[in-house]
Amino acid sequence: MEQCYLPYIPRPDDHVLGIVVDSRSDNFWVDIKGPQIALLPNLVFEGGTRRNIPKFEVGTLLYVRVVKTNTGMNPDLSCTDASGKAAAFGPLRDGFMFETSTGLSRMLLSSPTCPVLEALGKKLSFEIATGLNGRVWVNAAAPRSVIIVANAIMNSKSLSGTQKRIMVEKLLAKISD
Amino acid sequence: MKDTEVTAELVTPGDVLGNATELKAGKGAYLNDTTIYASLTGTRRILPPLPESLDQRATVEVTGHKAHGPVPEPGSLVIARVTKVMARMAAADILCVGPKAVCEKFAGIIRQQDVRATEIDKVDMHLSFRPGDIVRALVLSLGDARAYYLSTAKNELGVVSAESAAGETMVPISWTEMQCPLSSQTEPRKVAKVGS
Repeated sequence: MEQCYLPYIPRPDDHVLGIVVDSRSDNFWVDIKGPQIALLPNLVFEGGTRRNIPKFEVGTLLYVRVVKTNTGMNPDLSCTDASGKAAAFGPLRDGFMFETSTGLSRMLLSSPTCPVLEALGKKLSFEIATGLNGRVWVNAAAPRSVIIVANAIMNSKSLSGTQKRIMVEKLLAKISD
Repeated sequence: MKDTEVTAELVTPGDVLGNATELKAGKGAYLNDTTIYASLTGTRRILPPLPESLDQRATVEVTGHKAHGPVPEPGSLVIARVTKVMARMAAADILCVGPKAVCEKFAGIIRQQDVRATEIDKVDMHLSFRPGDIVRALVLSLGDARAYYLSTAKNELGVVSAESAAGETMVPISWTEMQCPLSSQTEPRKVAKVGS
C-alpha cells in the first residue's frame, strides 16, 4: 500500500511548493508543510544581488528546492538549481493550488508519466507544478481546464491505472459537449 | 558617616510605601498622584538624601529577590545552554555567571565569527553546536536589546557537555569531535579544552 498519509519531512534536493509567511532582513520565511518553517535567503535567485531582492508578499506561492536540512535547524531553501540557474523555480502566478497527500505527489512525479496526466494532456493544454510536500499547482488558459485537471488529480487517489484512464475520459467527455 | 536605615519590611506590588511630600520613589517603586507604591516584591529600604542635592527627601526603594543574582558583564565567563542553531548564529540561555547560577533569564548569541579564532568565515554552525549543548563562553559585550554577545573563540571555550542523538552524554575526542559511548558515533562540535 502506498504511503499516502505520511506527513511531509523535508530532505535535501526535494522540490516543493512553499507559501511565504514573513519576510525578514535576510530571509523569507516559507511554509513548506514540514515540521518547521523553512528559510529562503534573499539572495538565492538567479543574478540575485543586494540591489534586486525580490519583494514577495505574504501568501506568495513559490516553487523552491530544499538545500539543507540539519537536525534542530530550520530547512534552508533556494530558488536556483545546483548550478545557480533559475530553472523554473520562483513565484507561481495565476493558476490554482490545491493540497493532496505526499503519496499522490510522488505518483504525479513518477516516470513514466502518470496515467492521469497523460490522459489529460492528450485533450487539454495546461501547466502543472507538483511539490513533494503534497501541494500541486495547475494553470491553464481556460478556468474550466484548471478545474478539470484539479478534479481529475484529486479523484485519482485510490484508483488503479486503468480506472484512472476511464475516470479521466469520463470527465473530458463531459466538457466536450 | 551616613546611616542607611534598613527596615526589613516585606512589601508586594501595589503596597503603599509613603507620601511623595516626604519620600522620593527609587528602584522598585513608582509615584502615582502623591502616593508612592511598590512595583516589586521584596524588602523596603529607605536611603538618606545626598547632602548636596536640593531635594532633601529620602529615597524609598524595594529590593527584589533577583537583585542579588549575578549579572553577566563584558569579560565574564559564563556557562550557557544552546537553544537554537541557525545559519549564522546560535542562541543560548545563560545559566551561570562564573561559579554562581543566575536568578533570571539572560539570552546570549554566539555569532558565526565568534565561534573560533581561525577561518571564521568558513564556520558551519551546525558542525559547532547543536540545540541542548552546554557551552562555556566569554561575554563580549552587552549586545543588543535581545541578547548578550558571547564568544567561544578560545581553546578553553566551547562545548563542555553534549548529548548524542542516542541520548547519552558524549566524550570529547578532539577539539572538533565528540563520541557517543553507546553507539561509538562521533558528532562534530566546537569542543572546549578542559583540564590543565
